Amino acid sequence: MDDTSWVAPALGLARSGALQTVIIALASVALSVFSGVVLGVLLCLPQGRWNDPVCWLLNIYLQVFRGLPVLVTLFIVFFISPSAGLQLSSTSAAILGLSLWGSSNVMEVVRGAVRSIPTAQFEAARALGFRWRSVMRLVILPQATARMIPPVVNLTVDLIQATTLASLIGVIEVLQRSRQTVEYYQLSAGDGHAAPVFGGVLVFFFLICYPLTVLAGRLERGARNGKSTSGEKPSRSMRSQPVEVPQTTTGR
Amino acid sequence: MTLVSLSDFAAVEYSDVLWHGLVMTLKVSAISIIGSLAVGLVGAAIGELRVPVFRQLVRVYVEAIRNTPLLVQIFALFFVLPTMGVTLGPFTVGCVALVAWGGAYNVENFRAGLASVSPRYLEGARALGFSHTGAFLQVTVPIGVRLSLPGLTNTMISVVKNTALLVGIGLAELTFVVQKLSAETFRTVELFIVLGLVYLALVLTLSGLMHLVNRRYTLGAGA
Repeated sequence: MDDTSWVAPALGLARSGALQTVIIALASVALSVFSGVVLGVLLCLPQGRWNDPVCWLLNIYLQVFRGLPVLVTLFIVFFISPSAGLQLSSTSAAILGLSLWGSSNVMEVVRGAVRSIPTAQFEAARALGFRWRSVMRLVILPQATARMIPPVVNLTVDLIQATTLASLIGVIEVLQRSRQTVEYYQLSAGDGHAAPVFGGVLVFFFLICYPLTVLAGRLERGARNGKSTSGEKPSRSMRSQPVEVPQTTTGR
Repeated sequence: MTLVSLSDFAAVEYSDVLWHGLVMTLKVSAISIIGSLAVGLVGAAIGELRVPVFRQLVRVYVEAIRNTPLLVQIFALFFVLPTMGVTLGPFTVGCVALVAWGGAYNVENFRAGLASVSPRYLEGARALGFSHTGAFLQVTVPIGVRLSLPGLTNTMISVVKNTALLVGIGLAELTFVVQKLSAETFRTVELFIVLGLVYLALVLTLSGLMHLVNRRYTLGAGA
């Protein structure tokens, strides 16, 4: 019963899986944040002009990928992309699928943060002769960024957890590795050690996610107290109102 | 030469199989939503009433669930319980996992709602002679639950979406059925598009319903 000879090979497998998990997580967080911020800013374009169809399309994108379960998005990307002439590896399909979901959530966060900046700021900058692009870049976004950070950290936690879904489209990440381990020892030795193996995976994710959750909570409380926690100086006229960034309806 | 007929669509041809999958998804969703609401309310009440020991246990439970992936929780339940002599089917494991998962989020939702009930109400009730528990049950809870509705709605929608993860343990819900059908018929594109549309319809219906509930029960500012 005290045979521990299985531990070392299991850890070796887990390490290679963990590496894959980290790669997918980093890539999809980076892609989500980058494309989410770009699309989210476009979503804030003044309405009623040439850009109405753009807004319309962006809103459909937002509703569809926030509404679909992440797993279904992954399946759709993975199984439908070959018919569209794209040969994606399961890893890149996972990164793309997670980023579609992540970026639509970031878009919502950006929109919420931009809307939480008093319109007077916008009007004052326009009155001073700034163009829309300059207003965004110089006035609105520097203030909104501080408000985006806590929800984006929360989303990062959700994305890290969602990387496990990649195992269901055949990516050999940490969860898939642990299942292989359990299966192997179940068949070869009659005891799969399921409890310590899956327990280990749970601990692995907890150790990554818990500090981030705590950090997000701190940043949120800091922002609510009117202090800027992101190292950015709040502008003098910024009211210390609570951050009204919409909660992300995620497919965690 | 035949024209396109309705039965050329995979969704129509296999509608009965898909229907069974949808019913399974709805069943698991309904059980999990109700269960997670109950777990959430009890957990939040324990926290609000400051029940010693149990309060700390609830915190551990909430943090453990929220900081680990649901899919790993599902697998852990499904593969670890049999080694302890408890063998549950995928349906039971799915419901238990989703109730536990949604429950942890609902503890937070209810806690936020209960915490934002103005202390004036509690003071008023105490002055009228309510006991501490009585005031909590008859004043704080009815108001706090209404204040937690938006958060609860989000969690409910997430629970419905997360029933898709049960494909991992082979429960014959909608995603599983579609995956199996597409492997058998190779009509992948249309089946998965239908799958996406059905989930979108489910999510939109639920959020529409909850919007009505919200409008009926939401309290204005100052509550």
